[in-house]
Amino acid sequence: MSTDGNSGPASNPMIWDLPVRLFHWSMVAAVLVASITGYFLPDWWLNVHATAGYVLSGLLLFRLLWGVVGSRYSRFGGFPLKTAESKAHLRELLHGRSKAYTGHNPVGAWMIILLLASLTALLITGFIVWGGQENNGPFSTVVGYKLGKFTEEIHEFFAGLLMALIGVHLAGVLVETVFFKHRVVPAMIDGRKTLSSDEKPVTLWHNLVGTLALASTVLGIVYLAVTVGESQARTTPLPATYKQECGDCHSPYHPSLRSLASWRTLMENLGDHYDEDASLNPQKTEFIASFLKENDAEKFDTEAAHKIGRVDTPSHRMTDTRFWQKKHDDFKPQAFKHKAVGSKVNCNACHKDAETGRFDDARIDVPKGVKS
Amino acid sequence: MKPMFLAFAVVLAFAPNQPASASPLLDQYAQQAKSDSPDFKEFTAERGRDLFLSRHNMGKPETPSCTSCHTESPLKAGLTRAGKTIAPLAASASSNRYTDPAKVEKWFRRNCNSVLGRACTAREKGDFITFMLTQ
Repeated sequence: MSTDGNSGPASNPMIWDLPVRLFHWSMVAAVLVASITGYFLPDWWLNVHATAGYVLSGLLLFRLLWGVVGSRYSRFGGFPLKTAESKAHLRELLHGRSKAYTGHNPVGAWMIILLLASLTALLITGFIVWGGQENNGPFSTVVGYKLGKFTEEIHEFFAGLLMALIGVHLAGVLVETVFFKHRVVPAMIDGRKTLSSDEKPVTLWHNLVGTLALASTVLGIVYLAVTVGESQARTTPLPATYKQECGDCHSPYHPSLRSLASWRTLMENLGDHYDEDASLNPQKTEFIASFLKENDAEKFDTEAAHKIGRVDTPSHRMTDTRFWQKKHDDFKPQAFKHKAVGSKVNCNACHKDAETGRFDDARIDVPKGVKS
Repeated sequence: MKPMFLAFAVVLAFAPNQPASASPLLDQYAQQAKSDSPDFKEFTAERGRDLFLSRHNMGKPETPSCTSCHTESPLKAGLTRAGKTIAPLAASASSNRYTDPAKVEKWFRRNCNSVLGRACTAREKGDFITFMLTQ
């Protein structure tokens, strides 16, 4: 990509400035990463998915700004979006004709508006899910679990819509290239296209300032995400007695993982605790029972508290909840017998933040050899 | 060779002052064992070893013997049924194993019940610890 607007071997002048082209291809890469991690990879890739979201937020922010102050063909104001012109262009297309526009043609311009709009919706809903379900990111303290869960459906809808729009966009590019022989793809690489005589090509100034603006928005957003947004982990430290007494036999489960009723039953029957005598002296029993009472599933707004903690099972086991089983159904029974795991209730074998009760997807680290 | 001999001499020199027990806990168990049965003389590591290794089959079906969770070797780490590592029982492998009376009593209370289906006698506890102190 050349940064200079008027020199170079190509005879055509530059109409797509460097930052807009950089924006386009960075977005292609980030959307690719976000779709692969979102559609195909296991839950523990969610932090990569979210990082792609942060990068896209920076890119989008730049693009909206550049759509106002950028070079001639990058500005939304210059897009041929008028109804009459769009209709005329559509009619032309249906008759197998497409006149060569210097910038975007009307259908292409509308496509960009739709793509940017659905990407905006996708990012906003994504961060609501990230905040509500995973207690991470800019909305972690404002969005509750239920809103996060509900928004996941909307996020998925917009993801589907974006995929469909990308499909139409690619089809359009293919038709323009193969059928009408317009220089569409190379122009998005070197920025050069034919120019009508009364227009001025991109200046070096646009290329420099824009590229600087693009880089600083993306880096700024990612930096903010790393330093502020992702450090809002809310945790309740487990008291030493709780950790000691419960942790003697199993990892000390976070109190948010069971309901008050379940905890009460468990604490009243410590003498026969899953076929073990786990009885404690009255002082310790009392202390642990009151800690559990103050911190049961109803007191926490995490995904684990909602989907496991608040769901009572006859055995009082977390592993009997549907959510637990659904989330672990691709592990064979032997996986839990692996020496790095030991048993189904050894949560922290894979969930590195189990003791905090957060169970972030991004903190899952399945030991080598367990999943085979 | 010489340092070994010296160490042995030091042990011998102190031995008469500390018969059998090296911990106040063992003295307590010895007192109680005596009052339980007048013909009790002293704890033996052999009886402790038998208690540890025998398949009792008297308590919970999941835990027929101590070794169900603690493995056959007191020097090795065990594993709880929930998958948590248990520090070795041998005093040489886990220091402080037998220094907190409340903790020792808690585990005898629970585990004797699980393995033997009853509480352990003071003699059994003393034998067990005596065996573990030699390991």
